Amino acid sequence: MTTDTTTQDTTPGAPATGETVLDARGVTMRFGGLTAVRNVDLTVNSGEIVGLIGPNGAGKTTFFNCLTGLYIPTEGEVRYKGTVLPPKSFKVTAAGVARTFQNIRLFANMTVLENVLVGRHTRTKEGFWSAVLRLPGFHKAEAASRARAMELLEFVGLADKAEHLARNLPYGEQRKLEIARALASDPGLLLLDEPTAGMNPQETRATEELVFAIRDMGIAILVIEHDMRFIFNLCDRVAVLVQGEKLVEGDSATVQGDERVVAAYLGEPFEGAPGAEEAAEVAAAEAETETPAVETPEAETSEAETSEVAADDTEAEAPEAEADDAETADAPAAAADTTTDTAPGKENDR
Amino acid sequence: MTTQTTAPDAASTPATAPSGLIGIPPQIGRALATGGGILTVISTFLAWTWTSAFPGDLTVYGYPGGLQVLVLIGGALTTLFALASYGVKGLGWLVPAGADGAIKFAALATFATAWYTVIAISTNLGGVVNLEPGGYLVAIGSLAALLGALALPFEHPEADPIDPDDTSWEHFKHRAAHRWTTVKAAFASGTARPVGKLPSYVEILIIVAVLALGLFVFTYGIGTEYDELFIGFLLTAGFGFAALNKSGLIAQASQITARHQNITVCGAFVAAAAFPFTQTDDQYATLGVYILVFATVALGLNIVVGLAGLLDLGYVAFLGVGAYAAAMVSGSPSSPFHVHFPFWAAALVGAAASLVFGVLIGAPTLRLRGDYLAIVTLGFGEIFRITANNLDGTSGPDITNGSNGISSIPNLDILGFDFGAIHNILGFEIGRFANYFFLMLVITAVVVLVFRRSGDSRIGRAWVAIREDETAALAMGINGFRVKLIAFAVGASLAGLAGTVQAHVTYTVTPEQYLFAGPIPPNSAFLLAAVVLGGMGTIGGPLIGASLLFLIPNKLQFLGDYQLFAFGIALILLMRFRPEGLIPNRRRQLEFHEDAEAPTVLTKAGA
Amino acid sequence: MNELPQQLVNGLLLGSMYGLVAIGYTMVYGIVQLINFAHGEIFMTGAFGALTVYLYILPDGTSMMIALPLMLVGAVLVSVTIAVGAERFAYRPLRNAPRLAPLITAIGLSLALQQAVWAWYPNATSAIVFPQIEGGPFKIGSVTIQTGDIFLFIAAPISMAILGYFVMKTRTGRGMQATAQDPDTAKLMGVNTDRIIVIAFALGATFAAVGAVAYGLKYGQIDFKMGFLLGLKAFTAAVLGGIGNIYGAMIGGLVLGVAETLATAYIADIPGMDKFGSNAWADVWAFVLLILVLLFRPQGLLGERVADRA
Repeated sequence: MTTDTTTQDTTPGAPATGETVLDARGVTMRFGGLTAVRNVDLTVNSGEIVGLIGPNGAGKTTFFNCLTGLYIPTEGEVRYKGTVLPPKSFKVTAAGVARTFQNIRLFANMTVLENVLVGRHTRTKEGFWSAVLRLPGFHKAEAASRARAMELLEFVGLADKAEHLARNLPYGEQRKLEIARALASDPGLLLLDEPTAGMNPQETRATEELVFAIRDMGIAILVIEHDMRFIFNLCDRVAVLVQGEKLVEGDSATVQGDERVVAAYLGEPFEGAPGAEEAAEVAAAEAETETPAVETPEAETSEAETSEVAADDTEAEAPEAEADDAETADAPAAAADTTTDTAPGKENDR
Repeated sequence: MTTQTTAPDAASTPATAPSGLIGIPPQIGRALATGGGILTVISTFLAWTWTSAFPGDLTVYGYPGGLQVLVLIGGALTTLFALASYGVKGLGWLVPAGADGAIKFAALATFATAWYTVIAISTNLGGVVNLEPGGYLVAIGSLAALLGALALPFEHPEADPIDPDDTSWEHFKHRAAHRWTTVKAAFASGTARPVGKLPSYVEILIIVAVLALGLFVFTYGIGTEYDELFIGFLLTAGFGFAALNKSGLIAQASQITARHQNITVCGAFVAAAAFPFTQTDDQYATLGVYILVFATVALGLNIVVGLAGLLDLGYVAFLGVGAYAAAMVSGSPSSPFHVHFPFWAAALVGAAASLVFGVLIGAPTLRLRGDYLAIVTLGFGEIFRITANNLDGTSGPDITNGSNGISSIPNLDILGFDFGAIHNILGFEIGRFANYFFLMLVITAVVVLVFRRSGDSRIGRAWVAIREDETAALAMGINGFRVKLIAFAVGASLAGLAGTVQAHVTYTVTPEQYLFAGPIPPNSAFLLAAVVLGGMGTIGGPLIGASLLFLIPNKLQFLGDYQLFAFGIALILLMRFRPEGLIPNRRRQLEFHEDAEAPTVLTKAGA
Repeated sequence: MNELPQQLVNGLLLGSMYGLVAIGYTMVYGIVQLINFAHGEIFMTGAFGALTVYLYILPDGTSMMIALPLMLVGAVLVSVTIAVGAERFAYRPLRNAPRLAPLITAIGLSLALQQAVWAWYPNATSAIVFPQIEGGPFKIGSVTIQTGDIFLFIAAPISMAILGYFVMKTRTGRGMQATAQDPDTAKLMGVNTDRIIVIAFALGATFAAVGAVAYGLKYGQIDFKMGFLLGLKAFTAAVLGGIGNIYGAMIGGLVLGVAETLATAYIADIPGMDKFGSNAWADVWAFVLLILVLLFRPQGLLGERVADRA
């Protein structure tokens, strides 16, 4: 099943779609005996808004944490514009991936402006001596940071509250501030973790506008949400994560039309699903045999040809697919095909 | 004047009309407060006792002395605030945040000091018969003022509904809590209206006046000659400060100083530098320089604890490292190295040595959770002392001269200025300790500079961000380990720098000067307490905290053996009731009192 | 120079004392993430509690065979009372305060306890002689167990066994483990976390009290400052073993004790280190060990690397 993922509403100014910004392959995360994320592949192309949905506990946030270096994936790798992301969250940010948090994590006792200035950290250089001795360039750099921070506050509409303490902002504005803070690091990819959680419809609408505006700045976006309407309005492509595995990926229509997604949300087995036991066995077997193979071939091949060429949406789970996977890399962008193969193993072996 | 002793009204009065804490009509209360204030002022010009056996000579008519002066100040303050509350022309500027809260605290200050004096006279001399009429008068006057002040109306807080299913103990707790909030509300006041833009020379004059007042209060405190006067000073200064705070004057003053930060800081240093000139002998300059050493180190610690949120429990060891390093290159006969570095080189050596130790301690621990740092620094403080004790030639190599320490450290001589000699500046005799006071002031200035400039920059913001939420800070691209290590190393080297001067001031460095906790500051526990008491993350906080923590044990000799016990209890109570310290950082205050104002709950778990 | 087996046994005995005190640190830390800085002082007051029983409650000349159990009861009583009181009145109100607040409270409490004993316990301004068990040392093969260590030799394994049973088999013990892992969920599951926390404090104090009696017997004297350094060492032991892990505390204590003993005994044999072998350096080596462990295995010997819940 192949779905077309060319984005419809890219503004002319935005970079041409097709350049792979984020490329996660075979990401698996285990905590002790518990596998929270299993062999998930996901790509995000520039100018794209990609959604990641799934029922509670599907491993969305864990996957996010793997992308941002907060967790080191047990298996698999994550590339940003062709280079493997380092396993430290501050280095990931420096590389160009910014994020927000599901539970807002602002620096509550700093002012709004200071929060955004902290976001500028990776894009400025002034160190301790520069600050203490006020070396030449300090004031200039500080002023530039402030100007940029104010610009961003203007962008999200918080400029008039720059001197307020972050904790005194109402909920919706705290969300906006978190986005502004993330944008301050001039990211190429922005990861939004439930940006509309707890918002009323108007606020959600406003956030939607904001996300489109950010996309129009040329920043690719990966967003986790529960709010389906929000996701389907927003996203060029949606991936569904169920029980740690990618179930479906495709455009809104495809995903909405997929009965397995509905079933996953309602918690019912769908027609033709493999028996739970079998699935568990298959999954276990996969985990045993296949996963070592994931790392080796992929790591080498992709290093060789991960120029900006292809939006290589990788093949999903089937063990044999590994071999093709390496080859598909050269496929032209137009053929950015997303296999939404059945992932047999939703009933996890826990 | 009849002072009817009304029984204090139970605080459970329904919150209908605003009324006072006690059941006197507000109008009468206000009059009572004013009258009591005036009466108190008058009484300070009378004799309070018949004999000069009570220190301060309170026997003279027409000339207040000792504690009377303090009561006079309190009474005058009460009267002025009370008159201002009547809307007397020309006094309105005194109470930009409303007069009532200020009156209450001023009356409390007067009452506490006056009654303390009266009681002290009676117990010292054996009975109330030793009081002259002035003594009775001041007691009545200040009581009247206090009762009147407490009768002033305030907004009663709403009581939370009581759950009838609760046990009686919970009912009791509930009522106690409500009573406490009521009392707090009684002393509350509004927020000060912002100061209009004044001509800048006026604003600068105001700053000068504020600083002069500060210097005066500090000098007075240092110069108090007997326990009673110091306690009186603490009572008056403490409640008086609260009164000024409630009146809104402090808020306005800080608005003005915020507009001229550089002038204020410079002015503060000028005021501090003026301190030795106010003293006639070197005795108080000695106190001054010790306070300054203590305060400077506390300020250095505040970078580590207050800004970056790293709990360093062995900070005094870095002071010790610096002091030992400087002592060893000072040309002291008991140093194994027979070298004599110039001061600048010794200072560098001291700071560098502390820096090295800071990095050695910080590098393995700062990657881990903060609690590990606390315990490792604590261990380091202890190990430093043990090592210094052991390196005496018998238990180990002969480096530090063991428990005898490095003694006879020669006085500094910078560019021909001999710090050991008495100099004559502008007709004032400036002795040894005053000389060192000036040198130490320079070091303090360095620390203040580092604190201010680094705090208000990229690195400082990174420190605060790490303190606030480390995970989020990392996600903002901050290299947490590196940034924390910088804070830790900076703190360590500043302490080392202060140590180089301290070594010269004290002639001798011994391991026992650098304990975790001991009766003489600076030690790690007192340093931390100075930071916490003063207010974390502020500059003024540790300075004031250090002054208080140094002066209180020094002045209140009677505390003696119980001093450390009292100190421990005070720490517990402080954390329980005012964790943000005396001078709260606006950030900190909010952080500690998370209950009310936060519109949303900022949880720190589970993104 | 003593031979190795003797040194090992000495180290194990010393280490089991560290371990007994370390349990208190690790339990409290595991559940409320608080370094109960005053735990060393709780240990110290336990020793004074035991001494009080001997000096002021029992008639003079009571045989140690009778006195020792009663002294133990006294020690436990005092330690537990103080620990539970501290939890209730000093720590509990601060449970949601910033991390620094309870730690500073703990420092204050530690100072206050030390000073209270110093100021008000009769003759406590200097070290006080602790009663000793009669009888001489006994030998197992070539290894001598000193008289003062006999109590430790018996009490430490028993304490461990009791603790192990408690944690593994009892309902409260399991609730404790649950609370340590996830306090909020444990609460939702009906675990009374307040009670669990009090029990953790009390249990930690109990073992500290046993350790305190052992200390008195081992060294023959106690003083008001004994809790500071021993507390520090015990905490080191807890970290060594993996803080939060109750067995780890004991293992860490044993490792620390052995390492310290061996360092004191043999480090002088290393060329160039001949001056660092004396007893005066034992604490320094313990500390160096702590730094090394934090450098190379920060989660401790038994600790698991806990992922930061982002």
